[in-house]
Amino acid sequence: MNVAITGWSLHLPGVRPTDALAACLGTPPGAWARADAVPADRAADVLGRKGLLGMEPAARLALCAVHRALDLPPKHRPDGPADPSAAVVACGDLGNAEAVARVARAVATEGAAAVSILDAPNVSGNVVAATVAIRFRLGGPNLMVSSGPGSGAHGLRLALTLLRARRADRVVLVGAEPGDEVATALHAAGDPASPLAAGAACVVLEAVPETAPPDGARLELCDPGGGDAVAIGPGGFDTAAEWGDHHGAETVVGLALAAHLVADEGACAADVHGAARVRRAR
Amino acid sequence: MPALITASAVRTCFGTGADTFAALLAGRTGAGPLRDGGPGVPGVTTGYHLVDGGGSAFKASRLLTDVVAEAVRSAGLDPARERIAVLVGSGLGELSAVERWAVDGTDVPPRALDFEAAVRAALPGAAEVTTLSGACSAGGHALALAQDLVELGAADAVVAAAADTATRSMLAMIGRVSPVPASAVRPFDAGREGVLLGEGAAAVVVVPERRPSGRRPARPLARLLATGLSCDAAHPTAPDVAGIGRAMRDAFDRAGRRFAEVGLVVAHGTGTALNDPAECRALRDLGCAPLVTAVKGAVGHTSGAAALVNLDVAVRCLEEGAVPPVVGLRTVLDEGADVRFVQDGPAALPSGLVQLNAFGFGGVNAVTLLEAPS
Repeated sequence: MNVAITGWSLHLPGVRPTDALAACLGTPPGAWARADAVPADRAADVLGRKGLLGMEPAARLALCAVHRALDLPPKHRPDGPADPSAAVVACGDLGNAEAVARVARAVATEGAAAVSILDAPNVSGNVVAATVAIRFRLGGPNLMVSSGPGSGAHGLRLALTLLRARRADRVVLVGAEPGDEVATALHAAGDPASPLAAGAACVVLEAVPETAPPDGARLELCDPGGGDAVAIGPGGFDTAAEWGDHHGAETVVGLALAAHLVADEGACAADVHGAARVRRAR
Repeated sequence: MPALITASAVRTCFGTGADTFAALLAGRTGAGPLRDGGPGVPGVTTGYHLVDGGGSAFKASRLLTDVVAEAVRSAGLDPARERIAVLVGSGLGELSAVERWAVDGTDVPPRALDFEAAVRAALPGAAEVTTLSGACSAGGHALALAQDLVELGAADAVVAAAADTATRSMLAMIGRVSPVPASAVRPFDAGREGVLLGEGAAAVVVVPERRPSGRRPARPLARLLATGLSCDAAHPTAPDVAGIGRAMRDAFDRAGRRFAEVGLVVAHGTGTALNDPAECRALRDLGCAPLVTAVKGAVGHTSGAAALVNLDVAVRCLEEGAVPPVVGLRTVLDEGADVRFVQDGPAALPSGLVQLNAFGFGGVNAVTLLEAPS
């Protein structure tokens, strides 16, 4: 089985990928990289207003990234039955920390009346993954990977496992982290090389039979090694150093950037954190 | 392709897995006054606490280290000779550390929110440790992926583990939806009062049935046939019968078996207004009548650990031929009128498969099928 990348997006508010890419890679970024990534409090510009009440910033950013990776019209909200063949793997460590801290403080200082029932989903660690499934009607396995800075890399491996184990034909792999005061403080305690940045990224992975005819327009994922490839990550184009540390989402940021470079910027291949290569199908 | 369960280790309010099963057969409940979350959590007065001599800080990590060490030892795993992956599922993780930081200013050490360090304290040679935030079916998801990894040859053995203790924020939400504080979890009872949290941890070792070396474990505990997964994609907190049904059908499809072959269901059974009727309807939709038991009346809702606590109970049912009753069930709810609950005392284990249900916030469902080892 081969794995194709059929959609991708970066949704990094405040980041201008065009500038960084032109300076560091010498390639003229395509229109995709110039798309405006609105912050979480303006997610309605992408998603429409309905359903955003009480939703955490990380979940809003994740929805924006998935919306764009699925190439949906602005403010379009999918309906119909959930697709059981489409899985979600969300990666992130700090997405609901602010909500948990807020509720705990409210209980400690103001009592029951200060607790909003709208926060019920937000105090569960899997809120980002579940929110993506509900919004986009994705009824397959739903995983939230919270393995610290390795969340994205672990999420990629589990996404491939879901495809290979035939649990899904399509996996929406999304990474998202917020940039609030609580998340920033928790992140800083780990003495990271770069400060935490709010943002999200998404790649859509699909199983392709090995008997499928060659399609040079298709992007596929494979193991890194050999040949001419742009390196993304430490030692190459370091997205965390350039754009801020998206922590648990960082590998997905790298994958989405790799897809962009190969699809739109003429790169032969791009290696992401030494863990995976994106190239055109052969 | 089936896999084998070669070890299972559990901690609940009653102690070890053996202690827990003995308490279940005796119909005991571990409910007691709420600790740790303390006075000041409105609407919740009762919990199912595990007393281990340590404090409440990083208790889930401590329990996890214990059960992983016990499971690895029991299965005889050797990371020097085998690629051992570890998947840890949790509903609330160590978010209580974030709460202490927010309320008291207590520092949160780096990497304290995921479980890699807790696992490596017991198994330093693990090839990889992944933490899944999977709400109340997290352990079931870890189990599903563990079987996938050994079937695909990505690991020689996988430890599927889970641990959870209470957070003040989740207790506050439970209190917020409770008209009066619940005194106990009463699964499938017409007068159920709602859910209460239990502290718990569990770890199981999954290996392929046909190992490359031809080596078969001396005494597997159970054959792991399949775990079906689904997401309701319907509501952030309420269960959905259709989504639950899809996970059940996925399990049977993956195992190549039928619901008519199930002799016992260890149900999710949270004692909430919404879960128990939905679970009854999903079981009735499959069309036959196995025995049904549930453990949360005895051990509370152990959140992400619940699926693997159910697995440990199922393994002991297979070993001892006895099924514990649903502690706290007195008058069956209307939707369960034709469901064969085990009540009042233990029942003899019927022949056939054992089905384990686990459902969580966000509509995440995991349904596992086991059978006795041949």
